[in-house]
Formats: sequence, structure tokens, C-alpha cells
Amino acid sequence: MDRREKEAVRYLGYGRHAVDEKTEALIRDSFKELDRTAKCRIVYRIFELEIPDDGTVKIGELEIRSKNLAKNMRGCQEAVMLGATLGIEVDMLLRRYSLMDMSKTVVLQACAAALLEEYLDDWQEEHRRAAEAEGCYLRPRFSPGYGDFDISHQEDVIRMLECAKKIGLTMTDRYMLTPSKSVTAVIGISKEEVPCHRKGCEECRKTDCIYRRQEREARTNPVYHERHNTF
Amino acid sequence: MILERLGKELLYFDGGTGTLLQEKGMKAGELPETWNLTHTEEMVDIHRQYFEAGSDIVLTNTFGANALKFHNTEFELEDIVAAAVVNVKEGAWMGVHDGREVYAALDLGPTGKLLKPMGDLSFEDAYEAYKEVVQYGEEAGADLIHIETMSDTYEVKAAVLAAKENTKLPVFATMIFDENGKLLTGGDVPSVVALLEGLKVDALGINCGMGPEQMLPILEEILRYATVPVIVKPNAGLPKQKDGQVCYDVSPAEFAKVMREIVEKGASAVGGCCGTTPRHIRALVKKTEKLKDLSKREKREPKEYTIVSSYGKAVILGDEPCVIGERINPTGKKRFKQALKEHDIDYILREGIAQQDAGAHILDVNVGLPDIDEPALMKETVAELQSVTSLPLQIDTVDVKALEAAMRIYNGKPMVNSVNGKQESMDAVFPLIQKYGGVVVGLTLDEDGIPDTPEGRAAIAGKIIREAEKYKIPRKDIVIDVLAMTISSDPEGARTTLEALKLVKEQHGVCTVLGVSNISFGLPCRQAVNSNFFTLAMHAGLSAAIINPLSEDMMRSWYSYCALMNYDQNCERYIGQYAGQKNAAPEVKDTRVTLKSAIEKGLKEEAHHAARELLSEKKPLEIINEDMIPALDTVGKGFEKGTVFLPQLLMSADAAKIAFAVLKDALAQAGDVEQKKEKIVLATVKGDIHDIGKNIVKVLLENYSFDVIDLGKDVDPEKIVDAAIRNHVKLVGLSALMTTTVVSMEETIRLLREKKPDCKVMVGGAVLNQEYADMIGADFYGKDAMQSVYYAQSCFT
Repeated sequence: MDRREKEAVRYLGYGRHAVDEKTEALIRDSFKELDRTAKCRIVYRIFELEIPDDGTVKIGELEIRSKNLAKNMRGCQEAVMLGATLGIEVDMLLRRYSLMDMSKTVVLQACAAALLEEYLDDWQEEHRRAAEAEGCYLRPRFSPGYGDFDISHQEDVIRMLECAKKIGLTMTDRYMLTPSKSVTAVIGISKEEVPCHRKGCEECRKTDCIYRRQEREARTNPVYHERHNTF
Repeated sequence: MILERLGKELLYFDGGTGTLLQEKGMKAGELPETWNLTHTEEMVDIHRQYFEAGSDIVLTNTFGANALKFHNTEFELEDIVAAAVVNVKEGAWMGVHDGREVYAALDLGPTGKLLKPMGDLSFEDAYEAYKEVVQYGEEAGADLIHIETMSDTYEVKAAVLAAKENTKLPVFATMIFDENGKLLTGGDVPSVVALLEGLKVDALGINCGMGPEQMLPILEEILRYATVPVIVKPNAGLPKQKDGQVCYDVSPAEFAKVMREIVEKGASAVGGCCGTTPRHIRALVKKTEKLKDLSKREKREPKEYTIVSSYGKAVILGDEPCVIGERINPTGKKRFKQALKEHDIDYILREGIAQQDAGAHILDVNVGLPDIDEPALMKETVAELQSVTSLPLQIDTVDVKALEAAMRIYNGKPMVNSVNGKQESMDAVFPLIQKYGGVVVGLTLDEDGIPDTPEGRAAIAGKIIREAEKYKIPRKDIVIDVLAMTISSDPEGARTTLEALKLVKEQHGVCTVLGVSNISFGLPCRQAVNSNFFTLAMHAGLSAAIINPLSEDMMRSWYSYCALMNYDQNCERYIGQYAGQKNAAPEVKDTRVTLKSAIEKGLKEEAHHAARELLSEKKPLEIINEDMIPALDTVGKGFEKGTVFLPQLLMSADAAKIAFAVLKDALAQAGDVEQKKEKIVLATVKGDIHDIGKNIVKVLLENYSFDVIDLGKDVDPEKIVDAAIRNHVKLVGLSALMTTTVVSMEETIRLLREKKPDCKVMVGGAVLNQEYADMIGADFYGKDAMQSVYYAQSCFT
């Protein structure tokens, strides 16, 4: 299984268990279908960053009150702000399957989430290389809704990047991204390489989560390994 | 008047304002529209520069000025819009030195929200938001309405309708396409042109998204389908990232050079979008001055394509016959009638998906039953179908109210079934086609009935086409149905119909449609007659057939005909469909599998087979209790223990569902009554549009014989309470995904406690936990789907 297939298995709650044959086949089919259907799009901009010592972060003109984000961005001078989506077609596909076949639906849902993560990882990897060539280092992605980074900032990101016009990414009144398989995030850029062991999933304190990434998995997976060293 | 000049002389728009505003000190994230009031001088100056550069039409700075996007407590929307119009007029006064007539165009941009059912903005709310702005704009003296940078056909429809219904101003609309000629929401060029021309915009086109070079192929495609004048407003090239900022780098000279080509190709109004400046417009005007008189260029003929469309796909009717699926129709279908009465929309949607999978190109939608609120149901069905299929729909009803309700909210240019030669029918239907756009089926019958002769039917077709002309409905938007009369009562029926098909095409040059199956009424082995008649009809020139695409005989005729007549290049579709299809029926792999193990392993075909086999030994109820429930319990326990996982749990559920269907049929045949089922209401709460969790719970509850009343997603608390009271349910299940929607869950619970205190509430969803569930007053927190099933069982014992 490749990286994204493994990730989909994790989202399906298998933990350390081996995935059964039928589900594995469903995962393969789902990715095939998603590769045909998904229209991955991203928009981003780099803003100046200020982190005064009062638990706020200032990205461009946007002031965010979040200790977690301030900690994540400590030592950075700039921040990438991004929005990305798999497009509305994936939502339609999910809706269609939810009427016909629920097992396919949950697998497709997990695969779509994995595909989006992979798309963002690849994008970030490319930019990491480019940035490092210029002596800059990227932090892990941090999204509205993580820790005390309020979900309502989703609105600011969408407005500042013109996500609706550029990539068709919008938001409901209750801050849900539409299309549903979408992400908004910020990434700190620093001039110094800071060894950083915090990475998304593992950082979370909910250690009994069935979707938690396993340490063993992280060690054997070269991509995570590489990222581990980087951040 | 602009409409007198449009299409006769080349008109120039202005260019971008964003860059100019930034140069004048506007910060990223500031609302540009407020500058109309706070920086009047700067705004007027920008407009002046464009008029001086030669623009005839300058857009007001109101791109985001609608109630859905513009949230500012300091300024009233009305004042912003009024000031914006005045600023353009002021700019004209200062910038036009040659006395030419110029125009202030009220600019409408997208709402920034996604419309229902994929998003949370209702079509009506989008309409209202635009209505407010266009009314202010007309009052302030705008000369026209320019809707631009739209990437969603549904949203642009709301904007155009608002402009048309609430003002007398001309309406222009331009969309944002990508390099593949697609909208962000998936729409293609013919579907966009069909929709906008159907809605009677005065000009349409493309803006933003790319530079002039990249727009050339899209323009060509637009010109192939569009009859109205075409607008082109590119960016100054493709966006580039420089130091993290977006910039455009096509120079005014380069811009003007390609724009000249664009005008030569056939654009009638040109300007610029992001990154273009007054210098770009000045260069453009200079470069194209010799092309200004459009009457000298080759006349563009009206386009004759008969196009029906959905949000994403256009179907062009013509020589190659297409298939209209007839299954969404209660006539003669007991199960479908039951679904309509029970408001089982999912059943209808499944009928739609099955027909699409079987190869239908358009779906007929008929939900008429006595004692049913047809306008409401038609509207809902059409909207829901459009969230699961991109096929265009044919709205099939005799209820004019239902027709209008559906046409209004339909995303695309629908097919309408039908009008006929009776004056009363034409008086009712044509105004709707004129207003909303659509391709209408004209039945060749009138006050004197159905003529016996081909000539008689062709004459009625002529009458329908002439009457339509009075409404400016072109003949390309009329598809004639010459009617198939059953041969068992009218021996000449088939011949007359086939002759009439040819005659109508010859005499009137319109497309044709036919409900094929009627031909065999009263005969045995109807499929044989139907499929052969279908082939004959196609050969007589039928453009579209209303048939059952799930009928293999009919589809075989269609595939064969297309292959024979070279509509199917290299017989690709035919081969794709039939190559290696010896084992057409789904084979049961292992007939020795017991029902119990088929369910445990999630094997659908095997479960079906095993259930049928078992029926020879046991009664249905025994099978349920002795084989099925134990199997489901085993799987459920495994899930709890962590040896069975969600996909497997659901595969078992699907297998069980299939076995249940077999047993249900057996019960019905034996005249036995099914056990009375306990009812449970399920809903995803208001504001929440993620319902996969709720759907999982639904499947499992149904497995355990609960009667689930599924209210869907984004459901108002009042609606949930109403359903609970009306159905006397003892248990309601609610799902919410995010902290921002748990508030709706809390409100729903509070309302339930007040209005239906004897009802229990179980909750679930990603952000919930026991503590949170207790806090909002739920009776039970289901950490996974099986827990909900166990709790439901405990409630009813």
C-alpha cells in the first residue's frame, strides 16, 4: 500500500490492525474514482508576521488571538496563508454513494481526506525545498479550529485569499468549508532551522483516539521521517 | 441607449480597479466598497482615468456590495451603492472630453457562498440579496447591470432573475472559466450560454481567471453557441506569485495586440479585469479603432443548437438520438407512489442514479399524484436530484404552478414536458419558457384531439411553433412529440407516427421526441415491440426517446443504432458496453455460503441467494430471528471489540438489507403483515451539512427493523420537533460535526423538551463526548453507530 492508502486506512479507524481484503479493494477503487473526479486547487499568499508577547499573532492585517498558534509560529518572520480544495465534484460523488452504498461512502470519505492531505503535503514539500534553497524554513500547517486558533478565522482566510473566486472555496454561516473536502491553514516561515517534533496528529493530547497516527508507522514511513527531521 | 449600440459598434469596458486602489493606499482585507464613501475623490479619479482612456462602460465599485458578503456596521449598503453610481457619473463628467455617450454599469459579483443543496445559501436568499442591490442601483441612476466573475450557474441565475424582475435595466453577465473551458463548479461553455440566453441576458461572456491569450479558445467556443453579443474582459495575463503576492505582467501593448485578435474573432464589447490599467485600455482602444464599426464585419447568424443543460453538462439534441429516462414517474408504479406519499426522496434519487448509470442522457421528472402538494414536491425533487446527478432534467407536469416553481429553482436550462396545440396550454406554458428559458416538448394534439394523419400532426406542430414566436421563443427551443398510439387499438398507429416524425422534421426543421413504450400497450412481450419500434423511430429522425434505460432491450437498440449509423466512433461505446459480457447476470460466487456467514462477511449476492434458498425451509420471520439477527449481532459485537471495522460493519449491513428485501417480498406474497416497526426520527442539525455519520446510524437502525424518518441535514429545530410530534416518536437522534453547530443541537433538545417531553434524544458527532452531551441535555451519547442501535433497542423494550 502506498502512503495515501495507509492514511485512508488510519482514517477508517483500523489503528494497528491489518486491513481486510474487501476494504482494501474498496480503497483502491475509491482512489481511482477520486483521481478522475477531484479537481485539486490551491491558493496562497505570503504575509508579514508579527508575534507580540501577548498571546496574539498578526498575519498581514489580521490579528489572531491564539496561544497555540503563537507557539507554533515563534521565531518566524513571515507566514504562508493557504486555502485548498478537492472541488465540489467530490461532494457530489459522496452524496451519490451515500444513497447507494454506505460502506463505499465511508471508504471514499476517508480516501478523499487522505488525498487532500497528500496534495497539501506534496505542495508543502515542494515549497519547503524552494524555501530552504533561500535559507528559509517552513513550520507545520496550522488550521483554524486547531487548539485555541478559533474556527471563525476561516472567514478571514477565505476573504484575504479570495478563495471563493480563485478556487471556489466558500464557507457556511457556521464556518464549515464548502466544498467539504477543503482546508485553510497557515504555515510559519523562519530564517532559522528550529528542530520541531510537534506534527499535527501526534501533538494532540487525545491519546486514545482511534484515528491516531501510530509511532511505529511514523518511523517506518520515509515521508514522515523526512518531515520529522525538517520541522 | 446602450442596447441600440451594443452589437453594432465595438464597446469598451474599463479595466481592473484592485491594483489602482492598492496604489492609492487601500490595504489587503479592507472592504473596497467602503471607499465609495470614505475616499470619494480617489474613486472618482480612477473612473475618470478609464473614461479618459476611452472606456464607454465603467463598472461601479460594488463587486462585493451585497448583504451576504458586505458586513459593515458603519455604512448602509444603500448609501454605498448610491455613492458608487454617483462616483462613476462624476468620473464620466470629468473624463469624457469628446461628448460620446457613456454608461455606469452596476457591478454585481458573487455572494461568496455556495448555494444549497451543496452549500447553505438558499436560492431565494441569493435572489433577495441581489434584488436589494439592483433596486438601489437603478434608483441611483445606473444605466445597466453587469454581473461578473461568476463561477456558479446557479448563483448567476439568481442574479439575472433579480435584475430582470426588479429593474428595467439591460443585463450583461460574464463568467469565469478555467483553461479547460470549465467553471469552478464544473459547467461547460454550451451549458452556460444556454442558461444565460434562456434567461434573456442582453450580452454574455467571459472575464477574469486568465489572460487574453488563454481566452481565445474559450471565446471561440462561446461564439459557436451564442447568438447575443459577446463580452471579453481578460486579466493582464496569468497570475504570478512574486514575493508571495499575486501580480500580472502582460504589458498594455501585448494586451492590446491579443485583444485585437479577440475583436476580430467576434467579441462585441471588450475591456480588462485584474491587473489591467487605464494604460491597457488606452492601448486597446487605439489598436482596435479601425474595427469599431461592427456592421462591417461578417454578420453572426442566430445559432440553431437545441441545448438543454444542468449546472455541469449540456446535452445538444440533434441527429444522434438521446435517451430520456422515464422512471421518475408514478404512473403504474405502486412502489413509486408509495415513495411519493411517504416523502421518500431518497427512493426517487436512487431511481435517477440508476438511470444515469444505465446510460440515460436526460431524466424526466414527474411527481404528480392526487392529494399531493405537487409544486413543493417538484421543487424539492428537482433540487435534490441536481445534487446527485449532473444530467439535465425534463420537468414533466400538467400543474403550471409546479412547473414554474421547478423552472425557477432549476440550475440550468431545463427541458419542459409539455405544451400542446390547445390555446389554453400555450397561453399557460409559453410565458414561463419566455421568462426562465427552456426547451419545451410540443405535443401534436389540440382542441380537436390527436389527428389521424401525419399531415394533421405536422400542422399542429406548425401552430405551436408560430405561437411560440409571439413570445420570441426560437424554434430551436421547441421539440415536437408526434405521439405514439398503441397498435393494438390503432393498427396504423406506428406508421402514422413514423411518417409524422419525418414530416415534422422536413416541414419545420425542429427536433423531435417520443414516448416510445406506449406503442405496445396491451400486447405480450412488450419489450420486443418497443425496442424494434424504437429503432424505426430513430431511423425516421427521432432526436430524443423517453424510455426506460434499465430495459436492456431498449438500450441494446440504442447502442446498436448509434454503432450502425456511425454516431459511435469506432463502435467504442458499443464495445465498451458489450465486450466480454457473456456473464451478464451477477454471478453468485459460492452458493454454499449460509445466510449467516454471507451477512457476516458482507457478501451481497450470496446473501440474496442464501435468503431465497432458506425460504424453502423456513418462514421469513424465523429466518430473521434465527439467521439474520444473530449474524448482525456477531458483527456488531466484533465492531465493539475492535475486530470488525466500520467499512466491514456497513458491508454486512448492506448484505443484510438485500436479504431483508427478499424476505419482505415473500411476506407480502404470503399476505403476511410485517411486524409493526418502532419509529425513530434522525436529523443532522441546523447549520450542519455533514451527514455521513447520521446516514451510517440510519443504515444500522434499519437493519435492526427500526422505521427511520430521516429529515436530512441542516434541519431547523422546529421541523425536527414537528416530525417527532406528528409521528409520535419516542426517540430522536441528532448529529453535529462541529462546535459551531452543537449550539443548534442544544436548541433542538431544548425545544423538544418543551414541546415533546416524553421523547428521548440521542446525539453523536465528531466533536461530541459524554461531558458535552450531558451539558446540552441529551439523554444519550453514542460514541459510535452500534451504541446508537443498542440505545434505541433499550428505549423500546
